Amino acid sequence: MTATTQSASTTAAAGSGVRARLSGFFNQDVVLALLVVTLTIFVWLVNPRFLAQRNVLDMLNNSSYIAVAAIGMTMVIISGNIDISVGSLIGLLATISGQIAIGAQDGGYPLWIAFIVPLFVGALIEAFIGFLVAYLRIPSIVVSLGMFSILKGALILWTNGVWIYNLPDDFMLAQQAPLGVPVPIYFMVILTILAALWMKYSATGRAIYAVGGNREAARLSGISEKATIMKVFIINGVMVGIASILFATQFNAIQSTVPPGLELFIITASVVGGVSILGGTGTVIGSTLGSILLHVIRFGMQFVDVSQYWLQAVQGILILVTVMVDLLRRRRQSYSGRG
Amino acid sequence: MSRKTVTMIVLLSMLMGLFALPVASQEEERWVGSDDLPVNPLECPEGFGPEATEEPAEGAAEAEMMEYDGGQPVDPPDLAGQEITLIDIPKLIGIGYFNATTAGMQEAAEELGNVNVSTDGPTEGDIVQQIEFIERYITQGVDGILFAANDPVAISPVLRDALAQGIHVVGYDANSEPDAREWFVNQAEFNGIAKAMMDSMVQEIGPDGSFAIVTSSFTAPNQMRWISEMWAYAQKCYPDLNWLETVESQEDQNLAFQQTQALINRYGEELDGVFGMSSVAFPGAADAVQQAALCSPDDADEDVAAPSEEEAIAIVGLSTPNQMKPFVENGCVESVVLWNPVDLGYAAVYVMRAVVDGELQPGDTEVEAGRLGTLQVVNGSEILLGPPFVYTEDNIFDFDF
Amino acid sequence: MAAVEQQPLQTETFGQRLRAWLTRLVISQEGILLIITIIAMLVLSTQSDRFLTARNLTREAVLLFEVAMMALPMTYIIITGGIDLSVGSIFGMSAIILGFAWQDAGLPLELAIAIGILSGMIAGFVNGLFIVRVGVPPLIMTLATLALYRGMALGISQARSARGFPDWFYEVGRGDFLGLPWQIWILGAAILISAIVLARTSFGRGLYAIGNNELGARFAGIPVDRYKLIIYTFSGFMSGVAAWIFTSRVSTTRSDMGTGIELDVIAAVVLGGTDIFGGSGTIAGTVIGLILIQVLKSGLLLSGVKGDATTVMVGAVLILAILINNLVGRFRS
Repeated sequence: MTATTQSASTTAAAGSGVRARLSGFFNQDVVLALLVVTLTIFVWLVNPRFLAQRNVLDMLNNSSYIAVAAIGMTMVIISGNIDISVGSLIGLLATISGQIAIGAQDGGYPLWIAFIVPLFVGALIEAFIGFLVAYLRIPSIVVSLGMFSILKGALILWTNGVWIYNLPDDFMLAQQAPLGVPVPIYFMVILTILAALWMKYSATGRAIYAVGGNREAARLSGISEKATIMKVFIINGVMVGIASILFATQFNAIQSTVPPGLELFIITASVVGGVSILGGTGTVIGSTLGSILLHVIRFGMQFVDVSQYWLQAVQGILILVTVMVDLLRRRRQSYSGRG
Repeated sequence: MSRKTVTMIVLLSMLMGLFALPVASQEEERWVGSDDLPVNPLECPEGFGPEATEEPAEGAAEAEMMEYDGGQPVDPPDLAGQEITLIDIPKLIGIGYFNATTAGMQEAAEELGNVNVSTDGPTEGDIVQQIEFIERYITQGVDGILFAANDPVAISPVLRDALAQGIHVVGYDANSEPDAREWFVNQAEFNGIAKAMMDSMVQEIGPDGSFAIVTSSFTAPNQMRWISEMWAYAQKCYPDLNWLETVESQEDQNLAFQQTQALINRYGEELDGVFGMSSVAFPGAADAVQQAALCSPDDADEDVAAPSEEEAIAIVGLSTPNQMKPFVENGCVESVVLWNPVDLGYAAVYVMRAVVDGELQPGDTEVEAGRLGTLQVVNGSEILLGPPFVYTEDNIFDFDF
Repeated sequence: MAAVEQQPLQTETFGQRLRAWLTRLVISQEGILLIITIIAMLVLSTQSDRFLTARNLTREAVLLFEVAMMALPMTYIIITGGIDLSVGSIFGMSAIILGFAWQDAGLPLELAIAIGILSGMIAGFVNGLFIVRVGVPPLIMTLATLALYRGMALGISQARSARGFPDWFYEVGRGDFLGLPWQIWILGAAILISAIVLARTSFGRGLYAIGNNELGARFAGIPVDRYKLIIYTFSGFMSGVAAWIFTSRVSTTRSDMGTGIELDVIAAVVLGGTDIFGGSGTIAGTVIGLILIQVLKSGLLLSGVKGDATTVMVGAVLILAILINNLVGRFRS
């Protein structure tokens, strides 16, 4: 009798150990990756063409600029802030880049300037936002909502919405595909890895988590909150700059207006990736997987016969399901942690 | 398990249940994006469709007999021959198409010498904001309003207000309800556009090809009308065409690009042609086809890899010329269908001037419009600009808008 | 203001009290905003003699109506530290349900109106349910339902629009009551009630408590979950009512109506001084914020400024107003 009880409890203990280890393994990144795979398999079963090489590359290619922008957004959110102006900013920087490229074609200066200037302008504008947030203590949502309007209006005032065409061939960076893989995918992978390492191991990276998670503790451990927030926004500006170049060089003609709803799409990619909107947690790998998931959903819906009219509703449900799975996982983890 | 976890799982499964909604509505036809209004397909080109024996001019004759059905301003001030101030409120500002109509209006104003016209409007094609703009310009006090409606019904009450205040109202590009404006300058009739589009497509993919449509949004009235007419015309003249799907792209070039890629990847060789139904959707779709290296092989130049005839995808659509020039130049796009939007804006201002001067009155059948000559009145209170224009490699570079 | 009235200093003369009261008013959040608004109105009225006219002001109030109706519950929600991004989609969805319940399902229009508003409430309730019961953060939940509800509107309507309502339906959207548009009466009542509820009831105080310290509020016995459910449902209700009256004004429903309106609503609320992190804010502030934005849009247009430049100005004023408020806030403390 006693023996049985004992063995049972040992098994239970072993079981809970395995479960704990398992749940430790099931962090958000893995859950997201599994979701991407599950969804892919599901769509593939319905329509095998979904996994054709070209479709996979197209999905990743389209995820790339969103993912790069979402890296910046993730850092901003982890630091306890938000940036609603990114959509307008991408429109503005893409236009700047295109205009410079047109100018470079007429001679006078080399083409690479068209790739560098948007990064600086992006950093500059975001530095201004960061300054208002960090030093003048205006909530980031207010500043970025304001900038969202300002940049959107300014862009139309400037360009009047004239499309940019006649772009030089060398400008089409995102259309190159060394080794058969489009350039944006390299950017996405490399920047994600670099940013993930940086967030994990650098002092500033850890400071971002600290500032977003617990300001008081961050202050006590000697982290400068203001400088950290400034840095986060400047990095975000550079990321948005890179994203807008990937965006602009994708096309033979650039629509010089702000893509509608882009900011919410990028924020969605970040939060689907498990970035807590309250700050302090999340990873850039998660946000990249989040942007890939959103595109797998978007493309996948076209491959299964969902009525076009219901597509958007299904996308909303899938986003919700993803978030719920994440929450469910977190809750179970906290129980097993307690147990 | 805690109560919360149970609740969550229950809610999660309820969410999954919601998937039943779209699946249940699978009964409908594959093609989407049309409205329920009656259609009036034009005659088929020779050799297609039923023998053209049925009275051909039936539609046109009826249209001419229609009585004037526009509205009239209440006690407008007599401004004949005097300087007038007009406001033009298009669907949205900051896109090439409405920049072109604005340019045409300025040209007409300059020619006439006694017209001031300025353009203002929302930055998105949003009816709520457009109504606000019209309200405010009524308050500001203009002599006439030119508009292109985001929604034909929703815009009508505010336009009736304008008429009630003695302000002249003339529409162009996208109509309101007839009695909410005096005249509407119709760029090209919907069935005319539909015919030009389908004929151009059939020329490239043959009468038994398969195609898909990238529209701007399912709720945009003009788009719905064109698609309905295209459907009707295709059924009449090209019954063997295979209509695969219609997808949305909003006013977003990037979304049009992705949607077209998804179409290409899904249908593979089955897909022979894509329609880009707006000046944003068309270049997005063209980019997707070009980057997949699937442009028609016969006239692709050296920087576009030539696919086999089987795989190639033709792209036809509606757009202003400028953003399509790169694609026409490299042979990816053969024909771009559109009226001339500069002429459309130009005609709208001339019509407004004629209305103010009392030269265009209910019941008239034609109106003088400067360099465009005499324009005909159709459907009671519409002024027809002319047949749609097809831009090709030979003429597209003569236009700059 | 409430605080001032509660502690009258009897030893002071009336003049001193008035001065103290005025000083506090002037350096309060709403006071600063009010001053900015008045200055804007005065400057703009010199630019156009049609700006400060009864006609223009009533027309602008009608145009303001939908955003204002949604801004009232949004103030509650933001005070508790939450947010509701789905209001524009709920607006579109309940308009569509109203239209199709009448046109396709053939229900009497009165019933269809009720169903439309009810569907808005249910949508808001679902938001609240997930936020409270499941613990989905409000921003994420409403970001998802922003897509979901808009998608439902498109799916239900199959992109078609409902139109051709009977004449009596248009009365509330276009008619007058005692010489003023119905919208002004409804909005006035809504503002009054929501202001009183927030400032004078234990429910209102509970919302502030939740925003300041949710855990503390729970320990203090405030039914946090129920309050949150109520405010999100209220938000859906107000979006539903706005959708009904908007449909009545424009005489048609379309599934894309109200796209992007959520950012206008949030901008007005935060401009009105409500702290985005929760814990503070007033209905008065929100109302002044709404008025300021509307004054700028109307006045600038009447002064001959184009729409795109106005967009820039509104953005700049949003940042500047909060900046000034923060600077004065330092002085205040």
